Amino acid sequence: MIEATNLAKKYGEKVAVAGVSFSIEPGQVTGFLGPNGAGKSTTMRMIVGLDRPTAGSVIVNGRPYAEHRDPLHQVGALLDAKAVHTSRSAYNHLLAMAATHGISTTRVNEVIEMTGLAEVAKKKAGGFSLGMGQRLGIAAALLGDPQTLILDEPVNGLDPEGVLWVRNLVKYLAGQGKTVFLSSHLMSEMAQTADHLIVIGRGRIIADAPIADIIAGKQQARTRIRSQQVSELSDLLAGEGVSVNSSENETLEVSGLDAHQIARIALDNRVLIYELTPLNASLEEAYFDLTKDEVEFHSHSLANSGGQAPEGN
Amino acid sequence: MSTSTTAKAAAPSTAGGAGLSFAGVLRSEWIKFRSLTSTKVLLLCTFVAVIGVGTLTAWLRGTIIEQTMKFGLARPGIPGSNPTGMTAEAAEKTLPPNLALYGIPNGGLQIGILILGSLAVLFISSEFATGMIRSTMTAIPKRLPAFAAKAIVLVVVSYVITLAAAFVTFLISIPILHSYGISMNLQREGLLPAIFLGGLYVAGVALIGLSLGTLLRNSAGGIMVLVALFFVLPFGTQLLTLVPGDFWLHVNEYVPSVAGGRMLEIGHRDAFIDPWAGGLIFVAWILLFLIPAVITLKKRDV
Repeated sequence: MIEATNLAKKYGEKVAVAGVSFSIEPGQVTGFLGPNGAGKSTTMRMIVGLDRPTAGSVIVNGRPYAEHRDPLHQVGALLDAKAVHTSRSAYNHLLAMAATHGISTTRVNEVIEMTGLAEVAKKKAGGFSLGMGQRLGIAAALLGDPQTLILDEPVNGLDPEGVLWVRNLVKYLAGQGKTVFLSSHLMSEMAQTADHLIVIGRGRIIADAPIADIIAGKQQARTRIRSQQVSELSDLLAGEGVSVNSSENETLEVSGLDAHQIARIALDNRVLIYELTPLNASLEEAYFDLTKDEVEFHSHSLANSGGQAPEGN
Repeated sequence: MSTSTTAKAAAPSTAGGAGLSFAGVLRSEWIKFRSLTSTKVLLLCTFVAVIGVGTLTAWLRGTIIEQTMKFGLARPGIPGSNPTGMTAEAAEKTLPPNLALYGIPNGGLQIGILILGSLAVLFISSEFATGMIRSTMTAIPKRLPAFAAKAIVLVVVSYVITLAAAFVTFLISIPILHSYGISMNLQREGLLPAIFLGGLYVAGVALIGLSLGTLLRNSAGGIMVLVALFFVLPFGTQLLTLVPGDFWLHVNEYVPSVAGGRMLEIGHRDAFIDPWAGGLIFVAWILLFLIPAVITLKKRDV
C-alpha cells in the first residue's frame, strides 16, 4: 500500500512532479505510465526517500519509508539497474545488502537462483549486460521478500524470456496480496501486465483507473465495414448517436452501433458486406490521446529540424 | 490504515532476518570493503610501502649517526673535519628533532596517509559514481548509520594497518640500527606513544577522506582536496613564515598535517604547539569536514 498526498518535487525552477496524490492498493499490479521525463522515476525515488519531496508526503504500508524498522521487508525497489558497484560481484553485492537486515545467505542464494543469475553471480557486476543488470536489480528488490514492490522500467533490456518472467512474477506477487507498482513507457507491456494504471505527464496525473476503463473510456468502440455499397449503407446506418466515417474506398468506420446491429441492418436491406471488424481501441491510442498535450520532449521530424538553420549562424 | 492491511504488512516474511540493525549495517559495510579486489591490493601495497619507507628511514638515520661519529658535525669530505671519536649515544643527541629515532616506526606514515586517505575518499565516492549509493540508502533510509559504519570500518582498518606496519618497521630497525652500534628498544622515550598514536593519526585522515568523498561525491575531487590539505598546505604555510610579523610564524603549525604530526611529537619538542594541543587541533580539522558531510548526506538527494 502506497499513499501519496500532494507529492511534489522541484529541481531548482524545474518542476519534476507537481503535487500528485494517489493510492496504490495491494493485491494488484499498478502500472505507472508516462513519457520520458514525466516524473515517474522521481516519484518512485521519493517513495523510498532517495529524493526529498519539495512538498507533500508519501507513506508506504502505513508510515514513511524511512521510519520502518525493516525497510527491505517492507519495500523492494528496483530504481536503477546500475545501482551496483561495478567492481563487486553480484553475489557480494546481494550479500552486503542482505547483511543490513540480517537476511540469511540461504535467501541470497534463493534470489540468485530465482532470477537466473547463478552462473554469473561471482562475476563483477560492471561486466553485466543491461538485461543481467536488471535481473540483479530485481534480485536485490526481492531479497527481503517485501510487502511492496516498486520496479522502475523492469523489462528494459530484458530478452523476451526475461520479459515474460517479470510479467509472471509481478502477477504472481500481486496474487499473493502484495502491492506491485511498476513503471514503463512501453504501453504494450502495461496492457499485458497491469490491472490498474496511473498515467503521468509533465509531473501531473492524467489518469488513475483500471486499465480496462482507460482503454474503453477514452475511445468509443468502432467497427470497420467493407462493402461495395458504402453510400447506401451509410444512409441506412445513420441515426441518433451513430457516426459514420469513410476514410478509403468501399470502407466505413462506424461507432455507436455494434457489429451485430450493423450486420442485421445490412441483411434486412440486402446490402452485401465483405468485412465486418470490431476495432478495439488499443492502450496505445488511449495513451496518446491522454498525453498528447503533456509530452515533454516532442519529437520533430528530421526534415523539419534539418531545415531550420540555427539563428545567429 | 485499515486493520486488514496492517495484518498483511505484519505477515511473517520467508526471507527471515530481524530487520535493520546497526550491527547488520556494520557487517554490510565490512562485506563491501573486503569484497573489492582493488582495496585488498591497495592495502597490501600500503603495508609494504609503509614498512619499506620506514626501513629506509632507519637506515638513513643510522648512516647520519655513523657519519657524525666519524666526522663530527661538519660535513664529510670538507677540509678541516676531523674524526671525533664520539659515542653513538652522543652522536644521536646531535640529531635534529625531526630525525629523532623514536620517529622511525612512523617513517612511512606519509605513504599511509596518502593511500589510506584516498581509499577512504573512494569508499564512499565510488558508491556515488557507480550508483551503489542508491542501493545502500534504500536499505538504510536513515542514511547516517551507513556513514557511521563506513567510518568505523575505515578507522579500524587504518589503525590496525598503520599499527602493524609501525611495529614491523620497529622490528626491522633493530638489526639495522644495531649495525651502527645503536640499541633500538621499546623503552626508548617517545617510541611506544609514536607507534600507538601513528595509527590514530592515519585513522583521523581516513575520516577526513570519508567526509571529503561524501561532500564532493567525486573520487578525483576528493583525493585532490585531501592531497592539497596534507601535502601542499604545509609547504604553502611554510612560506608564510617568511612574511614579517609573529603571527605568520605560527600559521604553519595549525595545518592538519603539522598539528597531527605534533600529536606524535614529530618536530621540535618545545614547539609553539604541544602534542596535546596538536591532537585537539587535528580533531577540530576532522570535525570541520565531518559535520558538514553528515548534514549533507542526510539532507541531499542521492
